[in-house]
Amino acid sequence: MRREKAERLADEELMPWIGRKDPEAFEVFYDRHGGAAFSLAYRILGERGAAEDCIQEAFISIWRSGGKFDAARGSVRSWTLSIVRNRAIDMLRSKAGKAPKMTFDDDEIIESRPADELTDEEAMRNETATEVRGALSQLPGEQSKVIQLAYFGGFSQSEIAGMLNVPLGTVKGRMRLGLEKIRGELAEGLA
Amino acid sequence: MNANDHDNRLEEVAAYAIGGLDRDQVPGLEKHLAGCKRCQEELRWLSPAVQALPEAVERQAPPPELKQRLMAEVRADAAAEERRTRTEERRERAESRPGIGEWLRGLNVGGLTWKPLAGLALAILVIAGGVGYAVGNGGGSGGAHTWEIEPSNGIAAKVVTEDDRGELHLTGVEQLPKGRILEAWVERDGIVEPVPALFAPDQAGRASTTIESMDEVSAVMVTREPAGGSKKPTTEPFVVVPIET
Repeated sequence: MRREKAERLADEELMPWIGRKDPEAFEVFYDRHGGAAFSLAYRILGERGAAEDCIQEAFISIWRSGGKFDAARGSVRSWTLSIVRNRAIDMLRSKAGKAPKMTFDDDEIIESRPADELTDEEAMRNETATEVRGALSQLPGEQSKVIQLAYFGGFSQSEIAGMLNVPLGTVKGRMRLGLEKIRGELAEGLA
Repeated sequence: MNANDHDNRLEEVAAYAIGGLDRDQVPGLEKHLAGCKRCQEELRWLSPAVQALPEAVERQAPPPELKQRLMAEVRADAAAEERRTRTEERRERAESRPGIGEWLRGLNVGGLTWKPLAGLALAILVIAGGVGYAVGNGGGSGGAHTWEIEPSNGIAAKVVTEDDRGELHLTGVEQLPKGRILEAWVERDGIVEPVPALFAPDQAGRASTTIESMDEVSAVMVTREPAGGSKKPTTEPFVVVPIET
């Protein structure tokens, strides 16, 4: 398939082409999601070299199993980022004694680009990012922390309870409350 | 299950959604989820929040070399896949097309049986195999290679390959009787396939044709065929150039 044609296809339409081993379709797919995927891997692993290894492995696994995407289970974007997140967490766990980054400071937010450089889809994602960032900043620190430890650190509730030296029930409550608040912010943004 | 128990389940759903549920609790929750609509709805409700989390991290530009490495691996994969597909197609065609051995066994030209003809062809192969050499291999320019055989019955042949393309050149070829043409054949994996471009000698006895793909070709042969060419060889090859890689 020619690159121009691939660029006109939606993500869900690209995936069958990737399943048929079309390099042009895969290149467009990478151009769309490689940046977000690399950012996520870097956020989890904290090193550019490790993030590059993670993206190489995750995207090759997608290339080799491109036909396995199931649209019923979410968007191509979320599917891709969940694969990257799982790969990065596995890499993190394989490094014995490696502590995850625990910050979610203001300087880690998405850098805004001028609106005229963004596609509609990118603009929507940027808006979502702003809402999530806003929601996270408004969360009590202890709720934000357990969410970050679980999602970006790959720790279970029991592990987080041990790390923070708080009862397991407290971690469970904070995690649910925090997620509910973020979800509420997103719902308000859509309303 | 009472209300308190169910609240505990909802907390587990939140942890499950974000990937923070302890592993030993996952099977139990998944079993519960399968039969609990309220928990299924809670999971559906929370999922967008989890999916939005990676969008909120600071954007880092990946290095261009990462894409180059990735695409190099992808293109190599795609090329290997294409080769596998072509090989499978050739194997499938093997059932309908004879290999060189079957070809020779199946021939009966001018009342002669295949055996002496096969012996002749084998002799050509042996001679050719003894003197075939790569002129351009290593010392040639770019990826050009030349495969030549010693003249036999006054006919000399050489195949010049560059990249995937090949040119077959013959000299000393007798003029063809009316209604006959020269047809080249390539052998891949023991299967003989026709070269589409038919050809004929000029007044000086020189004849050339182009072979579009030399991929995995192990021999190039030439026969005299009825005008218009043949799908299968109908005569013995009078030239066989082995391609040794």
